[in-house]
Amino acid sequence: MISYGQAIVLGLVQGVAELFPISSLGQSVVLPRLLGWNIHQNDPYFITFLVATHLATALVLLGFFWADWVRIVKGIGRSLRDRGIDPEDRDAKLGWLLVVGTIPAGILGLLLESKLRAVFASAQSAAFFLIVNGLMLYGAELLRRRAPAPDTGDADRRVAEGVGWRQAASIGAAQALALIPGLSRSGATMGGGLLVGLSNEDAARFAFLLATPIIGAAAVLKLPELLGAQGNGVRGQALAGALCAAVTAYFSVRFLMRYFETKRLTPFAVFCFVEGIVLSLYFGFS
Amino acid sequence: MSKNTALVTASAVLGVLLIALGIYYWVEPAGSLPSWLPGYTAGSSHHHVKHGIAAFLVGVACLVFAWFRSAPKKKDSEQA
Repeated sequence: MISYGQAIVLGLVQGVAELFPISSLGQSVVLPRLLGWNIHQNDPYFITFLVATHLATALVLLGFFWADWVRIVKGIGRSLRDRGIDPEDRDAKLGWLLVVGTIPAGILGLLLESKLRAVFASAQSAAFFLIVNGLMLYGAELLRRRAPAPDTGDADRRVAEGVGWRQAASIGAAQALALIPGLSRSGATMGGGLLVGLSNEDAARFAFLLATPIIGAAAVLKLPELLGAQGNGVRGQALAGALCAAVTAYFSVRFLMRYFETKRLTPFAVFCFVEGIVLSLYFGFS
Repeated sequence: MSKNTALVTASAVLGVLLIALGIYYWVEPAGSLPSWLPGYTAGSSHHHVKHGIAAFLVGVACLVFAWFRSAPKKKDSEQA
């Protein structure tokens, strides 16, 4: 079972790692092993605990982008009413891009989550995929240098005009990579955004908007487990972890939205690569 | 039948079928599903809720696609 101390540490890490492109699932697999905690990724109580921290992160994201979501939902409503997307209606276009991006990720997640979780549950595997994540981020960074410089003006318009339907579906599907511990969802979507020519800032914004429904839906889907018998004995720890995750998630998204105005993915790529190498060696020899 | 009408009809029919399939997954246990359906497990009482959600969502997406594709085309004067 998780202690309150462990819950606080894991919650704090979850809030940061879910939004920084360093794989929250990977960190939640390697950290208990590194600290010698008897917590395994597939333990039912741990999955229940993660539901609470993910829900907290999703709520923070929803709150942070609340005004944007209100505009986006209204845009979707307008397009349904008019049975078409007005080329000038950036909110409607952005909303449907998010829908198109979320569907493949949701379906892949629903169908593959249990299988991938079972296959890639070990800390060694997570360490290996952290190396892969570092390389993926660095590759995206190389491509970013060829991406056009961000225009001044409205970020949503740039995303709506710069991303096509197939590209949105591809970026969304890339989120499914995060089902493998060690690969980052936000890293995959930011990388996908850079691939289609978005600036780092716009790619990060699109990635965070895409993250909200998928993280929220995944958490809501498993909420009955937290509220049911499986949550007995872990609800208090889950609440503590969720509160910690909410605090760090808020500061993380605030920091990252500013960070990506001018800076790059390289530090995260180096972090994941070095962390993966060090942990692989450590787990291999220990 | 024009190509667009065929596409709209196919999307709408597929959407309704997928939504029905989603509900079927929620209602019937895995052991009672037809053997050709993904998720069939002989004798299982488990309900494939996730399969149902996936089918339902794709069904809704098909209906939305049909809704947009079947919209009356705007005349040039309206677009201007």
